[in-house]
Amino acid sequence: MTKLNLRVRARGISCAAATLLALGTLLSGPAAAADDVIRFGSPLPITGPLAPEAQKQQRGYNLWAETVNKAGGIKVGDKRYKVEIVYVDYQSNTPRAVQAAERLITQDKVNFLFAPFGSGATKAASSVSERYKIPMIAATASSSQVYDQGYKFLFGIFTPNETLTEPIADIVRAKLPDVKTVAILARNDLFPLAIGQEMEKSAKKRQLDVVFFQKYDIGTLDFASPLTEIKSKAPQWIFATGYTNDLVLMRKQMADLQIKAPVVTMIAAPAYQEFIDATGKLSENVTSASWWHPAVRYKGTDVFGSTENFVKAFQAKYNATPDYGEGSAAASGAIIQLAIEHAGSLDPVKVRDALASMDVVTFWGPIRFGQDGQINSLEPPVFQIQNAKPVVIFPDVIKQGELKRME
Amino acid sequence: MLYLQVILNGLVLGGIYACIAVGFSLVWGVLNVINIMHGSLIVLGSYVAYMAHAAFGISPFVSILFIAPAFFLLGYVIELVLINRIVTAPVLLTLTLTFGLDLILINGMLVGFSADFKRLTLDPPLGTLSFGGLALPVDRVVAMGLAILLTGLLYLILSRSRIGRAISAVRMDREAAMLMGVNVNHVNSVTFGLGTMMAGVAGALLAMIFPIYPLLGYTYLGKAFVICVLGGLGSIPGALLGGIVLGEVESFGAIWFGPEHAVTLSFALLILVLLFRPEGLLGRKGFA
Repeated sequence: MTKLNLRVRARGISCAAATLLALGTLLSGPAAAADDVIRFGSPLPITGPLAPEAQKQQRGYNLWAETVNKAGGIKVGDKRYKVEIVYVDYQSNTPRAVQAAERLITQDKVNFLFAPFGSGATKAASSVSERYKIPMIAATASSSQVYDQGYKFLFGIFTPNETLTEPIADIVRAKLPDVKTVAILARNDLFPLAIGQEMEKSAKKRQLDVVFFQKYDIGTLDFASPLTEIKSKAPQWIFATGYTNDLVLMRKQMADLQIKAPVVTMIAAPAYQEFIDATGKLSENVTSASWWHPAVRYKGTDVFGSTENFVKAFQAKYNATPDYGEGSAAASGAIIQLAIEHAGSLDPVKVRDALASMDVVTFWGPIRFGQDGQINSLEPPVFQIQNAKPVVIFPDVIKQGELKRME
Repeated sequence: MLYLQVILNGLVLGGIYACIAVGFSLVWGVLNVINIMHGSLIVLGSYVAYMAHAAFGISPFVSILFIAPAFFLLGYVIELVLINRIVTAPVLLTLTLTFGLDLILINGMLVGFSADFKRLTLDPPLGTLSFGGLALPVDRVVAMGLAILLTGLLYLILSRSRIGRAISAVRMDREAAMLMGVNVNHVNSVTFGLGTMMAGVAGALLAMIFPIYPLLGYTYLGKAFVICVLGGLGSIPGALLGGIVLGEVESFGAIWFGPEHAVTLSFALLILVLLFRPEGLLGRKGFA
């Protein structure tokens, strides 16, 4: 029995070998070209609770790879290389993200890495890229604690959290000097709570009185109580953080309870078209900030050329408007491509040096990294929903309108 | 003034919670089936109302007129074809079956409606009643009123009509009802149909209040669990009372302890009720 099995298998192998050989002769041209590939490793939480985020990231990376390959590939010296992205699912489990990064380097022999999702997993995986000296671009890590480890091979394209609250606090202070009191209602969750706390700091720094600061639970179905309390304090600025479903409901209940304030800021829901669709007229004059928005207008030297072109290409491929999650992944690809082309080499150390000294503009915005590897050139846009459209009110370079008073 | 508004908030929230729980409680009480699918059936009702409004401009107050019979039929058929086969089996089996059906329903909705958030926005909006600094959102009040009306109607059906008395009989003692000539299978299907109908109608009303997305069902289900245990299994007035108690506890909890503890507080209450009054506030075996 065993013997028979062995023979069958042996024949199977020889068959496969013959087929491969035949194919090889037939396709000898492309087969040689198949070596001219740059492999990028991307550990992503393709399954598990973070799956929706991984899908966004994948859409961004795939669009970039497709665009580069259509344009002939990445130019290194006189040669052109096609892009290949190797995805590994780490099941929304951070320790597995570290293993996945290591596997991508040692087994899949990728040339460069894209970081896993979020600050926590990125920090964990950065020890691996540092050990193997493989440059890694972090698309979605904002916490400064990721970048203060003295690592040389990690580069991130999200600015620290406070860059989302500082500019808007400045604008409100300048344009609406009568605004003196702030109420903050934050979702009790890693990123939304961090933004709420940054807002508290930004407000206090400007002598604004924080009259209310509360957290609400994940899965909250009713905001009437905290909103009633906010109403009794009559703040002039209401600052709320959470995800789309939370903030759609909260905005509706604010109207129900007839709560009005000169400024209403919500992070991050208004960055998504769904928020505008679901709240209708109630979205009018809500302000928000995110690291990137499809309404920004940058002309870049990257493969997409400009924000408009990127948005158009994205719409053509996915029939949807990209948000900053999708944009950050495509931007990571575009940025490392520029570094490779500038280095004129696939040598990881040379590409790392090119990233460290990079000073370019892309569809994502201007790109320069600080000593710690975190981007310091980007000014996350502040925008306001005006006539059902997001209008950029900061930074000045790409400004489309002025802050309007709510009511 | 603040507390008066908080009491009002709790009351309308409670009415909405009652709406979520009535059908769930009925099915659990009579069939002894914990219908995991209940939350997702509510979401399905919301989607139907949303589509009817978006495509044909039909107000949810009108669409409940066809959602109610359609969902009754849906529930009747699901019970007849699937649940009836295991209705006397251990509770784990019925849990597994409805959990499986729930997964199918959720994934069907994910494919059919995508994971985006939708909301049914009436134009013009119903607005807010205000008097003396107090605010009462009309859509919530109307949803609550209709929920109470339907619950009352259901209560009347169960206590006055022939089929209602049969349902109560089955709830009290399945074997005895069978011996008395009650067609238990039919009663089961009707009960499940009524439960599904309540879910569909609740969904249509809630579409005006909550953003709709396929995974919302779990949040509803969690509330339904707490309310049923609070109010007493299978008791219709119990579901109403349980809903209002939960609404008030969450509202005051959020004011006194901060909104992040509102849910913790409601589950603490659940544990207390289970310890000291396990049959629920209005639970008495054998009465609808």
